[in-house]
Amino acid sequence: MSSEAGRMPVLQGTLDLIVLRTLESMGPQHAYAIATRLQQVSEDLLRLNQGTLYPALVRLEQQGRIKGTWRKTESNREAKFYAITKAGVKALAEETVRWRRMSGLVEKLLSEGA
Amino acid sequence: MRRFFSRFRNLFRSRQAESEMTREIASHLALLAEDFERRGLSPREAALAARRAYGGVEQAKELHREARSFLWIEQFLKDVRYAARNLFRNPGFTLLAALALALGIGANATIFGIYNTVALKQLPVADPARVVRVKRFLRNMNGYRFAYTEYQYLRDRNSVFSDLVAASSEIPVLASIAGAGAPEHLTGYAVSANYFAGLGVNARLGRTFLPDEDRATGANTVVVLGYRFWQRKFYGDPDVIGRTIKLNGMAYTIVGVAPPQFTSTDVLPTESGFWAPLSMIEQLNPAFGAGWRDKWRDAWQNAGFELLARLDPGVSRAKAQAETDLLLRGYLSGLRESLPTTAVTLERTSYLGSTGDVGFQVFAAAVLVTVSLVLLVACANVANMLLARGVSRRRAIGIRMALGATRLRLILQLLTESVLLALLGGAAGILLSAWAGRVLWTALSGIVLAFRGLRIELDLSPDSHVLLYGLALSVLTGIVSGLAPALQSTRLDLGAGPGRSRLRGLLLGAQVTVSVLLLVVSGALMGGVASSFVNSADLGFETHNTYRLRVSTRDAGMLPRLRDRLETLPELSRVSIGGAPLAETIGLAGSAGNWNGQTQTSFASDGYFETLGIPLERGRGFTRPESDRGAPVAVISESTARRLWPGQDPLGQYIHFARTFITATEYEVAGVAKDVRFTNLTEVDPMHVYLPTGAMPRLFGGVVFRIRARREKALAAVTSAVESVDPALLPSLDLVSLEEGPVAVRRSFYRVLGGFAGVLTLLSLTLAAIGVYGVMAFLVSQRTREIGIRMALGATSRAVLMSVVVQGLRPVLAGMLVGMAASAGLLAILAARGVVSSSGPFPATFGAAALYAELALMLATAVLASIVPARRALRVDPVVALRHE
Repeated sequence: MSSEAGRMPVLQGTLDLIVLRTLESMGPQHAYAIATRLQQVSEDLLRLNQGTLYPALVRLEQQGRIKGTWRKTESNREAKFYAITKAGVKALAEETVRWRRMSGLVEKLLSEGA
Repeated sequence: MRRFFSRFRNLFRSRQAESEMTREIASHLALLAEDFERRGLSPREAALAARRAYGGVEQAKELHREARSFLWIEQFLKDVRYAARNLFRNPGFTLLAALALALGIGANATIFGIYNTVALKQLPVADPARVVRVKRFLRNMNGYRFAYTEYQYLRDRNSVFSDLVAASSEIPVLASIAGAGAPEHLTGYAVSANYFAGLGVNARLGRTFLPDEDRATGANTVVVLGYRFWQRKFYGDPDVIGRTIKLNGMAYTIVGVAPPQFTSTDVLPTESGFWAPLSMIEQLNPAFGAGWRDKWRDAWQNAGFELLARLDPGVSRAKAQAETDLLLRGYLSGLRESLPTTAVTLERTSYLGSTGDVGFQVFAAAVLVTVSLVLLVACANVANMLLARGVSRRRAIGIRMALGATRLRLILQLLTESVLLALLGGAAGILLSAWAGRVLWTALSGIVLAFRGLRIELDLSPDSHVLLYGLALSVLTGIVSGLAPALQSTRLDLGAGPGRSRLRGLLLGAQVTVSVLLLVVSGALMGGVASSFVNSADLGFETHNTYRLRVSTRDAGMLPRLRDRLETLPELSRVSIGGAPLAETIGLAGSAGNWNGQTQTSFASDGYFETLGIPLERGRGFTRPESDRGAPVAVISESTARRLWPGQDPLGQYIHFARTFITATEYEVAGVAKDVRFTNLTEVDPMHVYLPTGAMPRLFGGVVFRIRARREKALAAVTSAVESVDPALLPSLDLVSLEEGPVAVRRSFYRVLGGFAGVLTLLSLTLAAIGVYGVMAFLVSQRTREIGIRMALGATSRAVLMSVVVQGLRPVLAGMLVGMAASAGLLAILAARGVVSSSGPFPATFGAAALYAELALMLATAVLASIVPARRALRVDPVVALRHE
């Protein structure tokens, strides 16, 4: 219960950004690896059902920002590996700037209001 | 954009995407489980842990689906399937509701179909959007006829038309083909040589006119035949080109046949049997008076041609209109005595002229509003039935909402159902209207033919306009009738009983109100129809052996000459001049004593009353000198005498008429004739004044005679006598007995009206019955348990039946009262404006027995429609009823 209370839902619209960033820094990954990575980085603070990842992956693939191909994992299992595309890199750069601006703005408002 | 397409693609690749997704999720779970195994769990535990860590697989799938495709379309298709299943499961309900909507939509589509054909469709010419009709506005009237000189002036000086063509008004001729039997009456047009070329109409066979083929007055003996005439008379023989046809005795060479869809460009489109060059108009139309015949090319007074123009490429209609207006008014201002033309406009070429007029538009709107009322009734009906059904489906809806369906989702689903229902009804309605439109048009054109002598042809096949209209109307109908029920049945305050039944009662009442309005209209029509069932013997004049002869002539002395000639025939017993009953009367404003008002008048010569068999009660008829020179004497009907001079001797009194086209203003009463039904079949004329024929305007009236010999022999003798007076009269000779002519015309008019009234009555009664039945059936099913308990406690079936029926009829009675009040108000307004009156052909008042009969019929229908389901309630076994639910 207490651990649940401390966890946050993923902020609307940020999942795409996080996925893109993960793929950029780690290279092609399958969905499970992405989910695991997210949990590690957030130190389990993000409340994320692993299935929730799929809409983001589908969306990004349809937008042409990532591309999925079926390959074997190290343990010789079949999995779909997603890689970031050129468009994805560009989008990531733009989104990052936007996010920084936005969070900076929110931060500023919050601290000034106090 | 790219995402849009990929989603769109996924709509159709849904199976492939689905298997891909399943594969990916399975792989994900496998990887998860592998991890857990690595941490030391048994394979089974690992698989379970993986499931837990993953979350709801189905939810994930749903999210996945939502992201990859247009969910709403998939849902929509699902809704449609669901709705179709639902409708299929209740065939009784579906049929009843679809029938109601089919009637409503069908009635609307019928009217729209006719409006579309006459006002929206354009003439079958090349690029009709660039073709315009020239219209002239005079001070008090407007029209489409122009003089030849105006045509020439406009044609030679304008800079905005690529072509300007002229066509005469319709010309009746006698056509004969060698070896094809007796000559027959045929109608055609004289047109400028550029007529076909300018309109872009190519001959179906042969050629149209050459550019100079209208120059040689009386010598361009070539003719293009109408398609149907060619089919009928030549059986579609392609070798007809080069053969000759005699028109009014003159031989013409057939050079071409017009295409089937091209019938006429006339404002009132009479189907054309032939087209001849304009230069032949004098030979074709002997009815033109002598002066006219010589000078039609130069006289500006003779406005006898309709003008159509094709706009130059790049010239707007507004610009062309400005120039035409300026040119024509400039031309006319140079002529001292010309009629003051106030404006000239260019109209788009709808099939019928004048459809852009405010008057026509208002008329069309009024008719559409009336049929929209029918549709509204149908909507209320279906809404009520849906409401009733919604209540019985509340449980299912409640469960779905509990399972997480949003209200919007459910409303959309219910609307899908009602729209589907409406589309079903709409499709049936369109089919219905295709047939009804033809019937209606046959009836309407029959009336036009009877009253104006014009045969109008119309191509009523539905086009994309009509289909689109039907589709839009159906969807709208579905939403209108489905919205309130959908909102109601998805509202989850389960205790809200009274509100619902109030809405139902309101809907039922409103629908009955409109039905009553429709019934009042049909009752008024029926009243007229009923009183038109009269024996010819009761009309007051002889109809079977009395004939009317009319010719088209401008010669004022022609009628007396014909009479003199016919009087010599032994086959005829009486010959006189005058107007035919039921056809040729004029309303004139007059005054006498302290009376001031309007009276029906007609014209009569010596021997007229004897010819018709109308007895003179007092005084005398006209003498020949009196009638020929239009002496200021009059014969009045008995009713007139009673009305103008009650208790006095009418002979020697004077009636004063305002100065119009008749020759004098003061007429002395010389005789009193027996009352007859001269103006209407439905009643004896309230007032009728006969004036001598010499006072008659030209072109009015004809010769009236009684035959004594065998009919064929007598008519043959009359025809040859007419020919001996002037052969040019034969083409326009109109010879018919009063029974087969005016009386039959009036009868068929009332038959058509009766048909209308019948359809209207049937429509409103059917809709009312469907509505009452639907609501009652629901009420009874709702009260099954209560009825069972009552029966168990010993209530008589009679008492139960009464209570159910009374509950059902309350809104019906309320609706009838409101409807009667509303129509009484409406009639008062109409009566105040003189549109309807208690006498006359349409006795649209609450005095009409037919109206009460229809209201009683309505009530009986409602009672019947409520008793049928109520009786079902009585058959309920109390034990079953108590277990109900």
